[in-house]
Amino acid sequence: MESALEGTGKEGKKESLKKRKIAVSPGEGLLQPVKLSRAELYKEPTNEELSRLRETESLFHSSLLRLQVEELLKEVRLSEKKKERIDAFLREVNQRIMKVPSTPETELTNQAWLPDGVQVPIHQVPYTVKGRFHFLPPAQVTVVGSYLLGTCIRPDINVDVALTIPREILQDKDGLNQRYFRKRALYLAHLAHHLAKDPLFGSVRFSYTNGCHLKPSLLLRPHGKDEHLVTIRLHPCPPPNFFRPCRLLPSKSNVRSAWYRGQSPSGDGSPEPPTPHYNTWLLQDTALESHVQLLSAVLGSASGLKDGVALLKVWLRQRELDKGLGGFSGFLVSMVVAFLVSTRKIHTTMSGYQVLRSTLQFLASTDLTVNGVSLCFSSDPSLPALADFHQAFPVVFLDSSGRLNLCADVTASTYHQVQHEARLSMALLDSKADDGFQLLLMTPKPMIRAFDHIVHLRPLSRLQAACHRLKLWPELQDLGGDYVSAALGPLTTLLEQGLGSRLQLLAHSRPPASEWDINQEPPKHRDPGVLTLGLLLRPEGLTSVLELGPEADQPEAANFRQFWGSRSELRRFQDGAIREAVVWEAASMAQKRLIPHQVVTHLLALHADIPDTCVHYTGGLLDALIQGLKETSSTGEEALAAAVRCYDDLSRLLWGLDGLPLTVSAVQGAHPVLRYTEVFPPAPVRPAHSFHEQLRERASLLPRPDKPCPAYVEPMTVVCHLEGSGQWPQDAEAIRRVRAAFQLRLAELLTQQHGLPCRATATHTDVLKDGFVFRIRVAYHREPQILKETRSPEGMVSLRDTPASLRFERDTRQLPLLTSALHGLQQQHPAFSAVARLAKRWVRAQLLGGEVTDESLDLVAAALFLHPEPFTPPSSPQVGFLRFLFLMSTFDWKNNPLIVNLNNELTAEEQVEIRSVFLATRAKLPVMVIVTPQDRKSSVWTQDGPSPQILHQLVVLAAEALPVLEKQLMDPRGPGDIRTVFRPPLDMYDVLIRLAPRHIPRHRQAVDSPAASFCRGLLAEPGPSSLMPVLGYDPPQLYLAQLREAFGHLALFFYDQHGGEVIGVLWKPTSFQPQPFKASNTKGRMVVSQGGEPVMVPNVEAILEDFAILGEGLVQAVEARSERWTV
Amino acid sequence: MVARRRKRAAQESDSGVPILPGYSAIPIKFSEKQQSSHYLYVREHKVREGTRSSWPQKRTLFVLNVPPYCTEECLSRLLSPCGPVQSVELQEKPELAESPKEPPSKFFHPKPVPGFQVAYVLFQKPGSVSAALALKGPLLVSTESHPVRSGVLKWIRDYTDSVPDPEALRVEVDAFMETYDRKIAEEEAKAKEEEGIPDDEGWVKVTRRGRRPVLPRTEAASLRVLERERRKRARKELLNFYAWQHRETKMEHLAQLRKKFEEDKQRIELMRAQRKFRPY
Repeated sequence: MESALEGTGKEGKKESLKKRKIAVSPGEGLLQPVKLSRAELYKEPTNEELSRLRETESLFHSSLLRLQVEELLKEVRLSEKKKERIDAFLREVNQRIMKVPSTPETELTNQAWLPDGVQVPIHQVPYTVKGRFHFLPPAQVTVVGSYLLGTCIRPDINVDVALTIPREILQDKDGLNQRYFRKRALYLAHLAHHLAKDPLFGSVRFSYTNGCHLKPSLLLRPHGKDEHLVTIRLHPCPPPNFFRPCRLLPSKSNVRSAWYRGQSPSGDGSPEPPTPHYNTWLLQDTALESHVQLLSAVLGSASGLKDGVALLKVWLRQRELDKGLGGFSGFLVSMVVAFLVSTRKIHTTMSGYQVLRSTLQFLASTDLTVNGVSLCFSSDPSLPALADFHQAFPVVFLDSSGRLNLCADVTASTYHQVQHEARLSMALLDSKADDGFQLLLMTPKPMIRAFDHIVHLRPLSRLQAACHRLKLWPELQDLGGDYVSAALGPLTTLLEQGLGSRLQLLAHSRPPASEWDINQEPPKHRDPGVLTLGLLLRPEGLTSVLELGPEADQPEAANFRQFWGSRSELRRFQDGAIREAVVWEAASMAQKRLIPHQVVTHLLALHADIPDTCVHYTGGLLDALIQGLKETSSTGEEALAAAVRCYDDLSRLLWGLDGLPLTVSAVQGAHPVLRYTEVFPPAPVRPAHSFHEQLRERASLLPRPDKPCPAYVEPMTVVCHLEGSGQWPQDAEAIRRVRAAFQLRLAELLTQQHGLPCRATATHTDVLKDGFVFRIRVAYHREPQILKETRSPEGMVSLRDTPASLRFERDTRQLPLLTSALHGLQQQHPAFSAVARLAKRWVRAQLLGGEVTDESLDLVAAALFLHPEPFTPPSSPQVGFLRFLFLMSTFDWKNNPLIVNLNNELTAEEQVEIRSVFLATRAKLPVMVIVTPQDRKSSVWTQDGPSPQILHQLVVLAAEALPVLEKQLMDPRGPGDIRTVFRPPLDMYDVLIRLAPRHIPRHRQAVDSPAASFCRGLLAEPGPSSLMPVLGYDPPQLYLAQLREAFGHLALFFYDQHGGEVIGVLWKPTSFQPQPFKASNTKGRMVVSQGGEPVMVPNVEAILEDFAILGEGLVQAVEARSERWTV
Repeated sequence: MVARRRKRAAQESDSGVPILPGYSAIPIKFSEKQQSSHYLYVREHKVREGTRSSWPQKRTLFVLNVPPYCTEECLSRLLSPCGPVQSVELQEKPELAESPKEPPSKFFHPKPVPGFQVAYVLFQKPGSVSAALALKGPLLVSTESHPVRSGVLKWIRDYTDSVPDPEALRVEVDAFMETYDRKIAEEEAKAKEEEGIPDDEGWVKVTRRGRRPVLPRTEAASLRVLERERRKRARKELLNFYAWQHRETKMEHLAQLRKKFEEDKQRIELMRAQRKFRPY
């Protein structure tokens, strides 16, 4: 296949070998730009090549996709060799089954003949049932299911084998009252007992077929090293035409309430309730063979269809949709494909990719809960109508007999989830994204990462009471007492109705297919332990605290009152209407996000008798990490909004300022607070004068040596552009002086006209407004250009980037643009702020905040919202943070730029262009490349870090944190200590410098916030202060700057700026190599002689003492922990 | 740690203090309390023949590895026993070029955070240099009579110093701008004088300030002109007019596809190598 393009003959083969070597050999796995010679590029095409190209164009999306699909299929397909081994094993199994001895006939209830080592794999409730049973070897053993069709996929290969129970065992009325199912179970029990003695099998266990508690199946696995090769599942089934189809229609009853509930028939003549699910389970057993015939007729010769089914199975499995009772199994999806073939939506010549696409399109656009479909095209009037099925089942998809609903166990929620996924996938395929394959088929979507909030209901036995409260006796009778499945439908409907506009999608977990040893009791309904619901929220619905009902005098009002119970109250609204309404208590954004919690607990307690001790809600557990010190109810969105409002006021003042020689042309924010991503938002400062030294003549407060360090106030940077004019000088030094003059003038005018305390320096003006401090930087838009100008000897002026111009451009152009773009993003996605801040909090808590720029982390967080595929944009901080960890741990930074398409400015073609430029210039770019529409080539925010080692460390930490945190959040018994993943590992550092909390101004922000800290000189009430508070004074940061300057060439320093009490020091191994003496590298080193030669090595002991000297007062202890620095 | 120190001591006693050709080492410590010391590596300041240097030879001492807490005053005090010191200059790197003559403005060039530095110490008398080379040390940076601040106290002082004096800043800016304006005015007057007057060889200088301004000579401008030309030409040409053109376009398309295919194949190889096709 590959040689098609490379021409035929030896040459081509050699070529391909060589290339493979080249492609694999760069051990670090870096893509190289492809270099093809002119002759190779422009040689005459062969027919084969042309046809393959044409095929790719018409049948696949792109050649990359085609190759990827082929690779994936190779990976999941069963190899021929293994198939042979499985076939041999199957033959053996067949023989053994036929040799199982028969037993004498006994009453069904007399099970004494069963030997000790085996338990009947079914719950016999009620125990008494009529009928007689004896064992005879099966009349027929047939292989059914995907193994025969060649569509089964690795890693767990199952071969389904149908055993036809001989007619002699069964009696006429066995369809009634679970008699058939009891016999079926006994049949298996006897088989199991005999097969378990056989050394051929490694394990003989029971399981429930598709999770159905009435239908056990026997699992056989080969012995020895083949144990994980295959699982053979034995399904007993009745002989053909044993049950009369008309008895098994969805409206018929086959479980008598007299028998089931043990009462004498109530004489009132009320009809027996229909048992549609029970009937379906019977029908399923009769139809095993006809289904496999149908599928093999459709899929038989068309390899494209088989590929498609395999792809669909992978797709379902990645979304955890295929497992358990009522899952959308691989068999169902094969039937959907068969249906599409029969309606000519899919043609047999289509490729696997096209089958996938058409099927997803069908699933996305067809609502089987409303308009069911049928594979049966006969117009026999005796067949039941689709409407009958819709009455009995939530989802309807009939098989070719027209009597069996294939989707009988699928709940409406599950189908809606399938639809939702299909829609997302279609959107992804249509967007022509480059990595569509990866996102569609290779990215797992576990519930915790896909849904905003998770609700655990436990213990499950509580649902039994719920069933009684909801009056679900007929359903219990139908489902053989499975109260979990019985309650599931009504509960999801209840919650969907209650959550209304807050909810986008509600999904539930399906009980996993459990396996048990043959000598154990079968698992009970409550044994999975927990029912998990996933809520996908609609952000626009989350903001409202009001549930508006009908007007009080209307008939619907009673329903509303009944639904909401005591929470419903009459309210008079501004337009004069008096309506029923429910009002939830939520003051802050964080609380509003958790209103679904209130709704869920209220409704479950009211209607299903499930107390709130059984409802474990996982939604806001991570909020505590970004909450401020005093408030516990808000995650800071309100404080950030207050700061932004104050900034808006200030910018209005700047626009309206009288007396500036040039007018203001733009005012732009350039600080994390102004894009809502500062981890701990600033609070208005009210400094106590007595706590500070005062510098009256400059209206400033100063820190005092005898007091603890004052509160940390970081000024918020605002860039103020002045209009261009001929008056500006054209010389860099002169422009700086003119800017300084403007800074002075600005301070004067703001004080004169608006009475704001100001302090001007050469580069900025600090303004105190309403307790917030802003740092205004005047900018002239031509300044970077002037810094760039170089003049060649011929007098030609050209523009070349210089470090100064780049820095200037970044600070005055790109940073404000980024800030406003992210500000806009926050308006679209209210959860952005919290997600970005959690992400930043985590990176900083891992002591890596100094190595990764703020802006790059903000952009990674933005990417989660702008490119959420295959998920939807997160609506809660928790799920956003998990996806941040997932992105950090899985993104291939080496070979891909992270494209953050802010404001959707980049077209698909431009993105392709960006990728190819990236590949061509990879070596020159930083390790982490983030592309935005404003910054397409250079990745400004990652230029200075992280280094490859730091990025690697970050990836490793994220990969470790993700499973730990997911496990904690998915644990229904409560998450335990949620801060575990935020505590940094300290054992990797060579030296730890412990700091004194007295001089850490942000001590209270630490991950494990101390119960008490020092007074930081703040007043509770606003004082009459017009003195400038202490700005940007953070001793640990000053200390770090000194350390990095003095020892940055020897060691790396790591610190959590949010109240960290420890600085981690890592020696750089390379700088510890003895080096020859050079005047330029003597810093901090000393001369020792090595083999008679003088060489330089770091003077470690003196340096350790320097650590203490430089941080006198701040440093408590310097702990040298490792001996690695011996030289 | 103790063992190691002993080992190192033993090593040194074997071969004596390691000798560096041309340099002598002077131990330096922050204060009495410290156990171990850094070493200043000093030698006489010398430059190659013909290179100019702002520091007079013979009288200048060149010092390497000056610790961050050691300031100019400090160094001057420590070396004064060898003879009166005229000036001390600390720099980040050994710099042979001349340093700027006038001191940089404290408003526009704030002092950087110091690391390990090099120093040029200019003595008044040439004899002091050799006395300094023979110093045994250890020198103490901070003593009771002359304490040097570090840590929190230093940061508080730095903060206090950094609170600016707007008046001083204004005065400095005004002074600078006055000089600058004067310089510009002079240049302009000179240019005006020269305008239209041919030089010795008869060339007349044309500037953008003249009566008929010309295109500025910048790279951007010339690129713009070239681009305009190219577009004009492209407008006139017909697409796929001749058969050979058609053939070539097709071939080009095929070549693009081939290139893409190669790229994709490489990508797949890489993913296979990374086991990226294991879906779960």
